[in-house]
Amino acid sequence: MFKYDRKIIFCSIVFLISSAVLFAKKGEYIPSAVGTIDSHPTIDGGVYHPVKDSKTGPYRINEKTLKGGYKFGRKPTKNELKAWDTDIMADGTGLPDGSGTVEDGEELYEAQCVSCHGDFGSGGGGYPALSKGNAYTQQKSLKNQRNKPDADGPVRVFGSYWPQASTLWWYIRDGMPHTRSKTLKDDEVYALVAYILNINEIKIDGKLVDDEYELTKDKFLKIKMPNADGFEPKIEGKGSLERVRKYYKNPKNFGAIKVAYAKRCMKNCQKKSAKIVGVRNGGISDFHPPLSNKKDKLSVKSSKLDVKKIYKDSCAMCHTDDSMGAPVAGKKADWEAKKKNGGIKGIYKRGIKGLNVMPPKGGAGISDDEFKKVVDYMINLK
Amino acid sequence: MTNTNLHDTSRLNTQKLPAAQKSRREFFKKSAAISVSAVAALSVLDPVKVLADDKAITHHAPWGQHWGDPITKNLYGVPSLYEHNVTRRYTKLLASGNYRAAIAVSPIQDIEGIITPNGLFFSRSHGGTAHIDPNKFRLMIHGLVKKPIVLTLKQLKRYPSVTRTHFLECPANGGQEWRATQYNSLQFAKGFMSCAQWTGVYIKTILKDLGLKPQAKWMLSEGSDNSEMGRTVPIDKVLDDAMIVWGQNGEALRPEQGYPVRLLLPGWEGNLCVKWLKRLEFASEPWYAKEETSKYTALKPTGKAVQHFYANEVNSTVTSPSPEIPWTDLKDGDLIEIEGLAWSGMGTITAVDLSFDGGKNFKKAKLKGLVLPKCWTRWSYMHKYKKGKTLLLTSRAMDDAGYIQPTIDQETSVMGVESVYHRNAIETWEVAKTGEVNHVQIRS
Repeated sequence: MFKYDRKIIFCSIVFLISSAVLFAKKGEYIPSAVGTIDSHPTIDGGVYHPVKDSKTGPYRINEKTLKGGYKFGRKPTKNELKAWDTDIMADGTGLPDGSGTVEDGEELYEAQCVSCHGDFGSGGGGYPALSKGNAYTQQKSLKNQRNKPDADGPVRVFGSYWPQASTLWWYIRDGMPHTRSKTLKDDEVYALVAYILNINEIKIDGKLVDDEYELTKDKFLKIKMPNADGFEPKIEGKGSLERVRKYYKNPKNFGAIKVAYAKRCMKNCQKKSAKIVGVRNGGISDFHPPLSNKKDKLSVKSSKLDVKKIYKDSCAMCHTDDSMGAPVAGKKADWEAKKKNGGIKGIYKRGIKGLNVMPPKGGAGISDDEFKKVVDYMINLK
Repeated sequence: MTNTNLHDTSRLNTQKLPAAQKSRREFFKKSAAISVSAVAALSVLDPVKVLADDKAITHHAPWGQHWGDPITKNLYGVPSLYEHNVTRRYTKLLASGNYRAAIAVSPIQDIEGIITPNGLFFSRSHGGTAHIDPNKFRLMIHGLVKKPIVLTLKQLKRYPSVTRTHFLECPANGGQEWRATQYNSLQFAKGFMSCAQWTGVYIKTILKDLGLKPQAKWMLSEGSDNSEMGRTVPIDKVLDDAMIVWGQNGEALRPEQGYPVRLLLPGWEGNLCVKWLKRLEFASEPWYAKEETSKYTALKPTGKAVQHFYANEVNSTVTSPSPEIPWTDLKDGDLIEIEGLAWSGMGTITAVDLSFDGGKNFKKAKLKGLVLPKCWTRWSYMHKYKKGKTLLLTSRAMDDAGYIQPTIDQETSVMGVESVYHRNAIETWEVAKTGEVNHVQIRS
C-alpha cells in the first residue's frame, strides 16, 4: 500500500515538473499540483505527504525516530481500565445493568435539569432543548430550510435528530448535570433517559414510553431512533472506512468544488442576477469587550469587588425566583429558613462547597471572603 | 558607594534640577520661534508646504526622561497597556448560559504573520476551561492494541518530538452567515480560528511499539474536562499526521488549549482535537459521542446530514482592510497593500485571487512568507487607492488537493442554509467611498 502510494506520487511529481516546464512562460510562477495531481487522496479528500529523502512535505525529519523501540509507560491495571473505560457504544457495549422510571426521571429532571433545559426540555438560557414534541413528526422537519423570513427551520433535538440513544445515556452519565458532572447513579441515568424518551414520545419495540414506563437495559437496547438513517457517510459495519473515503472523494457530496489551476474562472464569473446583500437590521454587535482599534492606555480598574455583577453573572439564573427551589434573592424569609441549618455560617459553607446543582460559589471565580460578600448582597439585594 | 549613586533616583527628578529645566525650555521656545518664521517664509513661495511642528518630535517624551521598569517586573511578559483592545471577544449568541459551553474568538484583524500569540488563540469549551495538575495527568492508550499503556506527562514527553505549524479552526467559523451577513466584523465573521506552532509526538510513533491490531478502524479520543469531550477518529488520520501535543508556540499549552496535552489532527475540525486529553481507545466500530452527532453535523436540504465532516476546506479572507481597520485615513492615489489569510485543512495553499467587483473578475494575488500545508498562508496585492470609488473586495483561495472556494450560490445549492458548519464560500468587504469597510455578501 505504502510503496504503491509512493510510486503514484513520484509519477505525478515527474508529470508536474514536465508540465510546469511545458506551460510556464516568461518566468511566471505556476503552482504545482493544483487540480492535476492524481496522488493518493486522504480519507477527508485532501492530499498525503509521504516521507521521502528525510522530508515529509516541507519539513525535515529524523527518520530514525520512526523505527520504534520505545519502552516508556506501563500497562494499565484492571481497576484503572474499569475506572476509565466507561464509554457506551451504539450496540450497548459498556452499558451497565439498571433501570429507571419516567416518574423518577421527571422528579430528578425538575430538581437538577430544568434550570437550564427548561420545562419539559423546551430549552432556554442558551442551553439546548431536549424535545420539541413528537420526535417522529419533528424528524420530518429536517428538510426544512429557513430561506424565507417566515419559514420554519429544521428541529434538531435529541428525539428528532440524534441517530443513537447510547449517546444520550453516555453523555448524561459523564457530562451532566453541567454544574457537577459524574454525580448521577446508573439508575438515575436510566430514569432521566426514560423521561427524555417520554417527552420526545419515543416508541420502543412498538410501545410508547408513557408516563408509567420503566426503562431497563434490555428495553434500552431495542431503541431505534427516528433519524437513525439520517446521516452520511455511513460509518458503522463492514467497509466503513472505504465508504468514508469514497464519500469525500466526491466534492459534490459536501458542497466543495475542484478545478484545474489554469481553468479557474478569472473573468465574468458572476450571474447577471448577482446582488449585494448587506448586514440586515444592524446585525449582531453584542460583542464583549466592544470592538475598538484605539491604542489608548488601559485604565487599570480598581480591584473593588463588584458584587452586583457577580450576582448577575453567576447567581441570578437560579436565585431570581423560586422556580428552582433555591432561596430567592431579597426574600428574607427564604434566607431565614436556610439559617436554621447552621446560621449564616452554614449558608456560606454550603455555598462555598456547592449544593445540589449549585456549583461551588455558583461557579464564580472568587475567594471565600468575596463569596460571603456576594451572599450578603443577595440576602438583602442591596 | 557607587551603588548608592546608581540608585539615587533624585538625579532623575527634573524638579530638583531647575537650572537644567529652564535652559531646556528656553531652547525650545527659541527653536519654535525659528521654525515658525521659517515656515512663514516658505509659505510665501509654496503654501502647500506649511507644516506645524509635531510635539511628539519637538518635545521630550516622558518615557525618555524617566527610568523604565526594572527587569524584575513582569517576569512573564505582558503586552503593552496600549494594546488592550487586541483581545479575544465573545458574544451571547455563541454561548450557553454561564459561558462554560461557549467560544471566545480571535482578533485576526490585528494578528501579524501566521502565528497567533497564545493569549489570543481562540478558545472553545463544552464544560469550561479545566485546570489540570500536570503531576496527576495520565494518558491511557488501550483497546485494539497488543500492548495497552499508561503514560505520565514526563514519560509522554520522552518520545521523539515533532514541531509543526498548523491552523486550528472551529467548523462553525462563518457558520452564522449561511442565510445572510450578520457580523460587520472580521473578528466575528472569521475569527473562530488561530494558527500556532505545535510540539508533540505523532501517534503513529507511539503505536509502533503498542502494536495496532488489524481490526482497529476507529479511535476514541476523550478529554478529562467537565464535559468529558470525546470524538471518534478514523485510523487513516491516526496513522497519517495525528499528534499528541504539549507545546504551543514554544511554551506549554495554555489551559484554554487543553493543558497539559491535547490531540491535534492537522487541518481537521477544532473540536476533533480533543483538549485535556486523557484516553485513546481503538475499536472496530465507531463511537457516537455527544458532540459528533448533536453538533458538528451539517444538515443538507435533502434532510440528510453530513457526519464525520473532518477537514476544514480551503478558505480565505481579506484582513487588511477590514471593518475594524478601515481605509478612512487613506488619500487619493496612495499605494496600499491589500493583505489577507488563506488556509486549507486538505493541503497547501497554491493560489489566491482577488476581486475588486465582488467576484465577477479576479486578479492573481501573491503568496508571501512561509507556505506550509494545513497552515495559515499570507497573501498580498498592491493597490493604488482611488478615493471616492466603492470597491467590493473578494478573495478566493485554491489548495494542492485541487479545491477552490465556492461562491455563496454554489455552496448553498448543495448544502442549503441549515448546515451551520463548514461554510467556506468567498466573502466580500465593501469599501465605501469614505474608506469605511462593511461586510456584504454577493448572492444571485
